Amino acid sequence: MGKITIDNAIFEFEGDQPSLLQFCLDREIELPHFCYHPAMSAPANCRQCLVEIGNPERDRETGKIKVDEEGNEVIRFFPKLMTSCSQDISDGLVVRTHRSSDLVRRAHKDNLEFLLINHPLDCPICDQAGNCPLQNQAYKYGPEGSRFEFRKVSKPKHIRLGPRVILDAERCINCTRCTRFTSEISNSHQLTIIGRGVKNYPMTPPGTEFDDPYSMNVIDICPVGALTSEDFRFKARVWEMSSTPSITTTSAKGSNCYYWVKDNRILKITPRTNMAVNEFWLADDDRLDYERFNDDRPSGPTVEGEASSWEDGYARAARILRNVDGTRIAFLGSAHASVEDNHLLARLADELGAATPMYIEHVDVGRGDDWLRSDDRTPNSNGCARLGFTVADSDLLGARLRAGEIDVLYVLEDDPIAAGLCTSDDLRGVSVILHHYNESNQTIALANVTLPAATIVETVGTFVNMDGHAQRARPAKAIRGVNRTLAMEIGRSRADRHGTPFDRWHNEDNLVDCQPGWVSVPGVADALGLDIPTTSPREIMQELAASNSAFDGATYSAMGEYGIRLSEIGETV
Amino acid sequence: MEVMPTGQSKAGDWQNYQRVLLPPVNDLHKLEVYEGEGGYQTLRDALSTDKWTPQSVTEEVQRGVLRGRGGAGFPCGLKWTFMPPVDEKVPRFLCCNADESEPGTFKDRQLMEYNPHLVFEGMLLACYAMSIKTAYMYVRGEFADWITHMEAELEKAYARGYVGQNILGTDFSTDIVIHKGAGAYICGEESSLMNSLEGKRAYPRAKPPFPAQNGIWGYPTTINNVETLACVPLIINHGGEWFSQIGAEKHPGPVLYGISGHVNRPGVYEYPTGMLITDLIEKVAGGMRNGKKLKAVIPGGSSTPVLTASMVDGVTMDAETMRDAGSMMGTSGMLILDEDTDIVAWLRRVTHFYHHESCGQCTPCREGTGWLENIVTRIEEGEGNIRDLDLLVDLCSQMEGRTVCALADAAAWPVRYTIARFREEFEARCRPSLVPGAEVLETVE
Repeated sequence: MGKITIDNAIFEFEGDQPSLLQFCLDREIELPHFCYHPAMSAPANCRQCLVEIGNPERDRETGKIKVDEEGNEVIRFFPKLMTSCSQDISDGLVVRTHRSSDLVRRAHKDNLEFLLINHPLDCPICDQAGNCPLQNQAYKYGPEGSRFEFRKVSKPKHIRLGPRVILDAERCINCTRCTRFTSEISNSHQLTIIGRGVKNYPMTPPGTEFDDPYSMNVIDICPVGALTSEDFRFKARVWEMSSTPSITTTSAKGSNCYYWVKDNRILKITPRTNMAVNEFWLADDDRLDYERFNDDRPSGPTVEGEASSWEDGYARAARILRNVDGTRIAFLGSAHASVEDNHLLARLADELGAATPMYIEHVDVGRGDDWLRSDDRTPNSNGCARLGFTVADSDLLGARLRAGEIDVLYVLEDDPIAAGLCTSDDLRGVSVILHHYNESNQTIALANVTLPAATIVETVGTFVNMDGHAQRARPAKAIRGVNRTLAMEIGRSRADRHGTPFDRWHNEDNLVDCQPGWVSVPGVADALGLDIPTTSPREIMQELAASNSAFDGATYSAMGEYGIRLSEIGETV
Repeated sequence: MEVMPTGQSKAGDWQNYQRVLLPPVNDLHKLEVYEGEGGYQTLRDALSTDKWTPQSVTEEVQRGVLRGRGGAGFPCGLKWTFMPPVDEKVPRFLCCNADESEPGTFKDRQLMEYNPHLVFEGMLLACYAMSIKTAYMYVRGEFADWITHMEAELEKAYARGYVGQNILGTDFSTDIVIHKGAGAYICGEESSLMNSLEGKRAYPRAKPPFPAQNGIWGYPTTINNVETLACVPLIINHGGEWFSQIGAEKHPGPVLYGISGHVNRPGVYEYPTGMLITDLIEKVAGGMRNGKKLKAVIPGGSSTPVLTASMVDGVTMDAETMRDAGSMMGTSGMLILDEDTDIVAWLRRVTHFYHHESCGQCTPCREGTGWLENIVTRIEEGEGNIRDLDLLVDLCSQMEGRTVCALADAAAWPVRYTIARFREEFEARCRPSLVPGAEVLETVE
């Protein structure tokens, strides 16, 4: 065990330790920095994290630590300030940060003065403003003014590095995080620094473009507004949006993310650090897959193609189900829907004497990599499998439909026609009850009852990723109508209230008339007079975690913000 | 005021000094001539006699007190001992730093032109001492002609079995690879040189780890200057004792003085270390041009602190004396400036150089070098203010010692010391300060 002293406070440590900077950050001792990123090598080039470093002085002959008259250890400080990001931790190290050293405080100020002399003062029109390490640290540690009285260096602006990333070279402070990302993390080696001295900036090699499927991560790690998103730039200021911690749905990896909402519309998706799943990163298609949450959304239930109230929708669905033998009803669960919704569907099927629901596979062979993209394009196929659902076989289901063995098809949050599971001809004479997300759902035309479903950004639910990691989704935007559970969840995840009914910029037009599966499935059951209690998803998972060993331990409190790893299916069964 | 050491020449009987690095032999660069002068005999002895083991070669170099000639003056033999123990599975490299780019320095070029085989022999001996099988020679890109010249000579040395597999019939094998740089000052910095050699961008690496632990391709590496390696065969041939007797006691050996500027006979001169600067100007370089008076000496390349004429008396060219005199030995590329020199214009040119050559990795250097040039330019054009001088010194303090490599220091020292030692000339060019309450110094007529 070793100890180090930081600003007169003693910290003990054991075993291998990260660099001094990370050691401090882990203990919430803030040190200003730009180029350092925990996932990448530390080039120590921004020179912002300088600290004073000392070691106890040892007597050359005896090897003992020298002690002064008062019995304190004599500390010998290095003559130069050292960058804490490249400083290893060793026993007895004494560190003085800006909190206890004028020299360090001065060095931080000097360095920020240098960083700002050629940095454009265009914060009022910069996308990064308000969420900018340079801006924040310049306010906190920087000089009060500038002594620079010359023309700033002029470099190229709005360069399209690739289809998704735009560079403003003048804002770049040459921290090399972006080039290190492509050379150390994504291994595409698509960016390098060109030029020399103050004319440096990152660029692609001639004739190539920055089309790395993970390219947009450089936008997040850029400590200034030099790299911006082609998709998001100039859409909103950071303080106009709220962010909700949740997960993405484009692949089975379930990368953790923040959904950024303004006026009840999702505007961008950024990564959320979860070392067990996606670490610091997010794939580009995960980020750009948000428009289906905003547009193409239904406006309330329909019965036989006519708009109806929710009560009428439930009643009509109940009437269809009531007159049919259970074995002639096919239930389709969904790998897009949460574990809770699928579980309730399975209970409904069980109550009606139908077979366990199946689910549709959405696989894009060859799309996946060993990282954050998977062949499977749904977030919850693992969760469906854990509920005992099997993959729907298109040949078998089509044949059964054509043979008239099925009278009712009950679809939860999916589109069997677009997925090729059956054709519209197959569904002639079959009653269809459909919970759906989007108006472009091709099965709507054949549905007798449609019950619009809340998407992952509007609901509360559990999703299990391809590695068996169970994680919670939280509501980022509000739906039409009042739901006490959602209102409480949204209040927990979004203290700022943007986009909620309590938001003063609340926009009635952007509220979608839909219901989470855990409201509408029990709604149908209730109309049938069945006993499926309309409990909250929290209680559903509580019950499921206790009763189904495939979800052992997956309670909301255990999953928390980062989820839990479930045991392999069959391991404990 | 700094203490003026008034010393004697430490170079002894330098008038009768016999040149060893660049001996007066015609066509010495040719292999057959070099062999005729006893060339490669030292290598043959080292490889074939029991007296010379890798250990004893290193010890002899240490006995000779050979200090690096690249500017820092680090003891060469000591540097060699930093290499980790030999592990057959781990490659190790020697690199000869021939990226001679410091303004005012042009000594290595002479060695490469007139005595390349001495450098090769030194590299081979160093490889033997450290059990290295691959030696790189990183030559600056502008030296294209010298590269062609050396490659031709290296081919001959390969053909004669001095380089390559089983050198001179022994089981010692070493390859020498001449690598052409692309012309950047920063590549003379050893870690930046290694990155450049690996094909990466020439950004200096943070130290530690030092090259001996993590060098070229991440393997143990020793980097030495051309002139340093050229001294090695001399030490092994004549003995460390002989070498340490030449010139100054703590910084002995022959050294190539590259003298440029306002002297009658500028050029590269080989003499012992510890020569009086005044001797070098008056007796070696033929005195000041047009009988002008001396104004300043920049003793070891443009980054070393300037010495005024009054500081030069009795100062000898060795690391310790130069340090006491308030400057550095550097590369012993001396710039001699006469009384007509506009020191502000000179500083403007120097700051322009460092601004142009800053690699841009570290913030203080990337931003600071340009800012320094801006201010000095403004002063030279008569637009500067007195307060600019204090700002310049302040900026130097903000740059020095705060970057990965020493380029920021190299850029800041000329500014700091030129202003400190010629402040009145700068003030004369400045407008009085416009800042209320600032002290307005009287301008010198």
